[in-house]
Amino acid sequence: MKPRLTVVSPKAVSGVRLPILEVRSLTKVFRSSHAPVKVLEEIDITAAAGELICILGPSGCGKSTLLKILSGFIPPSAGEMRLDDRPITRPGPERCVVFQEDALFPWLTVAENIAFGLRGKGKDRRAARREVDRFLSLVGLTPYRDYLPREISGGMKQRVALARVLILKPQVLFMDEPFASLDAQAREEMQNLLLSLWAKLSHTILFVTHDVVEAVTLADRILVMDKNPGRIRAEIPVALDRPRRRDDPEFIRFSRMLHDGLRGSGEGNLPGWP
Amino acid sequence: MNGSTLRNGLSGLLPWILPALFVLAWIIVSETGLAPTYLLPHPEAVGRAGFTYIFGDPGQGAYAGRFLSDAGASLFRVFMGFSLAALLGVPLGVLSGRTPAVRRLLSTSVNAVRAVPGICWLPLALVWFGIGFKTTIFLVALAAFFPIYLNAASGARGVDPLLLQAGAMMGVRRLRGTFAILLPGAMPSIMTGLRLGLGIAWAYLVLGELTGVPDGLGAVIMDARMLGRIDIIVVGIILIAVMGRMSDLILKFSLRCLFKSARRMT
Ligand SMILES: Nc1ncnc2c1ncn2[C@@H]1O[C@H](COP(=O)(O)OP(=O)(O)OP(=O)(O)O)[C@@H](O)[C@H]1O
Ligand SMILES: [Mg+2]
Repeated sequence: MKPRLTVVSPKAVSGVRLPILEVRSLTKVFRSSHAPVKVLEEIDITAAAGELICILGPSGCGKSTLLKILSGFIPPSAGEMRLDDRPITRPGPERCVVFQEDALFPWLTVAENIAFGLRGKGKDRRAARREVDRFLSLVGLTPYRDYLPREISGGMKQRVALARVLILKPQVLFMDEPFASLDAQAREEMQNLLLSLWAKLSHTILFVTHDVVEAVTLADRILVMDKNPGRIRAEIPVALDRPRRRDDPEFIRFSRMLHDGLRGSGEGNLPGWP
Repeated sequence: MNGSTLRNGLSGLLPWILPALFVLAWIIVSETGLAPTYLLPHPEAVGRAGFTYIFGDPGQGAYAGRFLSDAGASLFRVFMGFSLAALLGVPLGVLSGRTPAVRRLLSTSVNAVRAVPGICWLPLALVWFGIGFKTTIFLVALAAFFPIYLNAASGARGVDPLLLQAGAMMGVRRLRGTFAILLPGAMPSIMTGLRLGLGIAWAYLVLGELTGVPDGLGAVIMDARMLGRIDIIVVGIILIAVMGRMSDLILKFSLRCLFKSARRMT
């Protein structure tokens, strides 16, 4: 039995919200060339509608694998996953992904990339164009609408990647270390942008990261993952007030504690935790 | 004139330097008598022969004014053979690039047939289709098929799976995915294959026409050899080179007009 961590910060997360994403005992075994490798073990996640959850874990603990399974790209070995009470079986626009790598279509302009998912949804051109314009301005890319992906920076590409899925109004949004390849300043900008979009559009977000400060900046709740096999070691609500400031003493204290706790990994516990 | 227009002017000149040097060398060897005229006629003689061939009245001489009908016949054969190769090669290539079963089904046979030099098919084609139109088209299509097929296959195989995943998560199904993601993603390779195929199509056109068809640029060359008209042979070679180059430009231009991906990724 693993010790569960309880609320750390003075304020508790308030309000009861309905669970929208439910993952039960999810396990993934890869059959590699030598022996089967258990990458994920007994993962349980419940996400409430509108919640922003960060999954925090070291490299190779199976974070990407978890998101790939939840998006429907690869099947789990065992376990159950339901979105809005419907089982997840294959990829679909109600569960969108922002990938870590650049996954924009290089032959489409910024605006065309954002409009891509709208086509074939029976929207008339005028309405579609209005939508695209709205999301272009939401991510601050209006002046770049006719640029090609190779002509814009990494941060702008991730804005496009964000806009092209937000426009589809997914029920949950999976983000796989989307800002990891950006420099510190661009990363901070993107985090602020994500938070402001989240405040406006209130999506449910599952955000994967290995950066403690990023997790504390964004999350309502942090799921800490362990490696070999990958499983959820701890669940930590972050009850810091929003908007959060990275130089706020409370923020720093919280990040430090989380950071120190992570370093003592392997015991299935977060030592130094109250 | 500033530096950049000068540089643009220079790089515009660049492609013409080699042909100019070549003609210069040709003039020198002809003027100095290094090459006897029965082996290599003087450029001026070739120019005159070319002029009569292209603009002359049919009554003026053996080859006068035949260019339009010859070029038309050759172009039509190249077009037919090349289109056939493209219509088969691109879909089959994309299919085998994406479907391991199709790849396994086709690759051994395709590679075996590819190993046979195209000219080996000539006798068989003559037996099957007789001399002329059909044989030429068969040879052209067969030869152009392989580069088109192979490049389409490697292009389709090389499309980033992440792009297909991105499509799937945005609700794109098979059919639309093929046209909206797979083909554009493979377009640079497909275009390379088509251009290589078109080049080879011209080579095999001449081979097909050498077998004794009455019209076409290859036929003119063969005919001129029998009559000892070296000037016309040279004219034919130059015209084939020019038309080959032009058809490549036209192919590139039309692909760019038709497909965003060809325009933006190559
Ligand atoms: N298709 C596969 N076949 C076999 N093993 C795999 C496969 N995909 C991933 N793995 C293994 O699963 C483990 C977790 O991989 P995953 O990419 O999910 O890690 P991650 O947490 O996303 O790491 P990172 O932070 O570096 O992105 C790794 O040890 C990897 O070797
Ligand atoms: Mg990963």
